[in-house]
Amino acid sequence: MAAPFRRMASRPLLQFLSCFSRTATGNTGFRQFSSTSLCRATLPTDRVTERASSPWTLMAAVCLQRLPVISADDSPIEQQFRQLMQQMELEKSLLSDHEIRLLEDAERLSRKQSNSYDSDEEEDSRNQDIVLTQDLEDSWEQKLKSFEPAQRVRADVDKDLTSVERCLADSLVLLAEQQVGSEKLWLLPHIQWQEGETLRQTAERALASLPAAGFKATFLSNAPCGVYKYKLPKAARTESSVGTKVFFFKAILSDSGPPAAPDSSFVWLKKSELQQYLKPAYMTKVGRFILDL
Amino acid sequence: MSVALSRCLCRALSRQTAPLLSGEHHHAVQSPWFAPVMTLKTSAPLRAEPKKKKKVDPRREQLLRDRLKKKLKRLEKVPPEYIPIEDFIHSIFIILLQRERSIPSLSFEEKEGRALLLKEWSHYKREQHMAEVKAIELALEAQREALEELKLESEELYQAALKPDPLLFPFSHEGPVNTPPKTQYDAPDGKYNDITRVYTQ
Repeated sequence: MAAPFRRMASRPLLQFLSCFSRTATGNTGFRQFSSTSLCRATLPTDRVTERASSPWTLMAAVCLQRLPVISADDSPIEQQFRQLMQQMELEKSLLSDHEIRLLEDAERLSRKQSNSYDSDEEEDSRNQDIVLTQDLEDSWEQKLKSFEPAQRVRADVDKDLTSVERCLADSLVLLAEQQVGSEKLWLLPHIQWQEGETLRQTAERALASLPAAGFKATFLSNAPCGVYKYKLPKAARTESSVGTKVFFFKAILSDSGPPAAPDSSFVWLKKSELQQYLKPAYMTKVGRFILDL
Repeated sequence: MSVALSRCLCRALSRQTAPLLSGEHHHAVQSPWFAPVMTLKTSAPLRAEPKKKKKVDPRREQLLRDRLKKKLKRLEKVPPEYIPIEDFIHSIFIILLQRERSIPSLSFEEKEGRALLLKEWSHYKREQHMAEVKAIELALEAQREALEELKLESEELYQAALKPDPLLFPFSHEGPVNTPPKTQYDAPDGKYNDITRVYTQ
């Protein structure tokens, strides 16, 4: 892949050069997807675009996120701090009723076991021998142990990229393998815009058109959260289609539906894993609005 | 003229009633029911005390009743007792019992260690916060760019994108929990005895 590397190195230079060129869409020499947002910002925006005459095809894509289900594990400093806080709170606190009862019971036991015990001196010996507070504690402990919580981390599910249940502590993004031009690429599921519908409806259609997907999502707003433009290779350019603008819409997964077949063409990825699947230019654009907090 | 007329009428009436009177004197003794007209005002039942069905009496009785009711109300009017607020009633044991915890005092190294850990923690938290702020700023920038591009494309789509979504709120999402939910878990019903005291005024 020597040629693209060369082109990627020369891209800043070309962008710098093209900033001074007065042609609006005449950025040549980019075979790959390239983002031209930098030079677009400095170009004079004097083109009055009517929808009919705009050379860009519109597409809408959906960024479907499954939010974390369990709390994240503590980092080492967080663990230390947690212990410190618990210790400090214990030191600053007073004894509770339960603890006082424990102390009294212990005292009474020690008095009973000592030789100089006289049961007549007991002030009120009504019910205190029946249930000791320690026994209560033990019974509570037993009840807790009889409950088996589900496992937090399951390594086998984590490895299955198509499962929604993987990596419950992180937020996952859905990626689908779709045909773009002549190649099949991994990207956020998108679909072409049609006349008479808003972009958000296009995004909803994009989600529904995924094969074997029963996803129920809540779309967060009518406005797109990001955009990615790319120009078609010079050979494929015509008067009416210079390139494509893909608008991204954010959605939160509310119901994953039935589990998908293992050979389906979509994966759930954490933000750190997205790098391996997406093209670098695409990744820079998309990574901005995918929050990994 | 009218006087003469009335005198004629009186005479006519007297002439008519004279034979009646004469004829019915016997009758008056035999049957008191058929009393002549002239004796109507003077017969026995009608000479009794008349029933004074005047409007003043019912009104007076009602006034009396009202006054009695008012007096009763004033007697029965006791201010209602205040409902005690359970939260403000302290138990005596809070003051009586000795609740001091006996803990060993900390060594100097321990205190130093704690201070250092607190400083590290504040640094860590600050880093976290700055990262969050930066991430949010990036996301906002991405959205702004997207809206600019959309505006260049088509005005109507841009306007449609700017409209707020009325169906989004109320939006709720369950936050992260400690352990993932168990499928097909039957949670046991919690039994409890409700001992809240209910007061009525």
